[in-house]
Amino acid sequence: MNENSPVIRLAQFMDGSDEGWGREQGRAVYSRLLEFVESQPGVLVFKISLEGVRRIDISFASETVVELAKRFRGMKGFCFVDLVDPDMWENWEAAAVRKEQPIMLRTGATLRVLGPQPNQGLADALQFALKRAQTRAAEFADSVPKMSIANASSKFKQLWQMGFLLRQELSANSGGIEFSYYRIG
Amino acid sequence: MAVTITFPSKWVDAATLEKTLRTFPGPHESQDTNIEFVIPAGSKIMIDASTRLLSLLNQLEDTSKRVRLIFEEGETGVMGYLNRMGFFDNLDDRVDVKPPRPKYSGAEVYGGMNTGLVEIARIDHKKKDKALPTRLTDALRNGCKHRADVEELGGAAWTIFAELIDNIFSHSETKLDGYAALQVYKQGKTAKVAVSDSGLGIMETLRPALKQAAPKLAILPEVDLLVEIFRQGLSRHGNDRGCGLKGSAAKAVKFKAELDIRLPNSRVLLVPGLQGYRPNTAYSYSSLPLIWGTHICFTFPLTQAQSSG
Repeated sequence: MNENSPVIRLAQFMDGSDEGWGREQGRAVYSRLLEFVESQPGVLVFKISLEGVRRIDISFASETVVELAKRFRGMKGFCFVDLVDPDMWENWEAAAVRKEQPIMLRTGATLRVLGPQPNQGLADALQFALKRAQTRAAEFADSVPKMSIANASSKFKQLWQMGFLLRQELSANSGGIEFSYYRIG
Repeated sequence: MAVTITFPSKWVDAATLEKTLRTFPGPHESQDTNIEFVIPAGSKIMIDASTRLLSLLNQLEDTSKRVRLIFEEGETGVMGYLNRMGFFDNLDDRVDVKPPRPKYSGAEVYGGMNTGLVEIARIDHKKKDKALPTRLTDALRNGCKHRADVEELGGAAWTIFAELIDNIFSHSETKLDGYAALQVYKQGKTAKVAVSDSGLGIMETLRPALKQAAPKLAILPEVDLLVEIFRQGLSRHGNDRGCGLKGSAAKAVKFKAELDIRLPNSRVLLVPGLQGYRPNTAYSYSSLPLIWGTHICFTFPLTQAQSSG
């Protein structure tokens, strides 16, 4: 799911500007981002590059990538790949927190969550999932003493609903429905 | 019959402006259609007071009051400074000024040459000046160049100004312009950045939505509700749009800036504390004479304090 994910160069959607300022500009950029994402129906994970973007404010952040992630929550995921500027980081984070929409950030081998963090009950499940390209509830249950598959399944489902993970249906051996959970990025 | 409001002969910042206005009948509320503002010799109006006064004067003319502004010291006094700041460039033509307004705009002639100030910039709803947050940021960085954290301050400042000004475009609902300006006060060791608009004000746009979403908050007195807006980032469009104001405050408090907010009938001074902003109740007032809009001023120290406040 994460291999060969296309890179969205945000600067290319900003109509020649290197500054993202405010809601109005944010909405215009959002429309272009949305059009692009919708033109890639089979793609579930998109990398976001901030190369060429000098700065953005919180409102712009909120109206663009964060809104995009929220729109496709549970269906598609978005991950920053070159976010280093501390002010920009702070602003993306503030926007993600406010909209209760997590966005992933990859820095080398580390994958972290910008924005809302999972509560204590879900944090371990998320960390387990982030270390693997894909995983199933049964695998997590096996790794934790006295964890039932139903419990593990419930945690992964919550993480998916909150936008931390993606998932795809598998046919279980039992004939029931099982899911494979994917990290984003 | 006229209402005459006389300024004191001293430095007039936002707090002093409020004290002054409170001692006279409120200009908007007054039955009199003639309102006179007298600026005596020795009166030095600071940038936060100037942008609010400018907004008030333009509002009064817009409601068909006849407004007169009298500078007792003439062009040699604060009138000259205000001209340099672009006050008269933005003042409604119908306001009667004595002595007559300067023929040449000091802001136009000298504009941009003094790195210690940013002349009063009009925030025009029809046309966004994309360079304005950057101009304010550059001037602030220049004024604060002796701070060890000036680079971080510069990064944060752009976001603060961008958010405040964008709020004017998004929330104002008025045809009157907004204003932004910056002034470094070397002796006072501060830089003041003022952003004013003449719209409905945060409260008026917020309370109806809050009545539904958070009724306990909706009934709070204005000053208390305002403190909560900055703490929680509330917004009339649901929580996700309040992040701009709260984000700005969260950034500014790290640099120990004071934050002063004037709303139609109240004023709150927020000072940096160990856990973010807290209200300075001695300088927070309610039941003030009406000034439409939202008027915000950040006061940044030019140097970093050694101890935390």
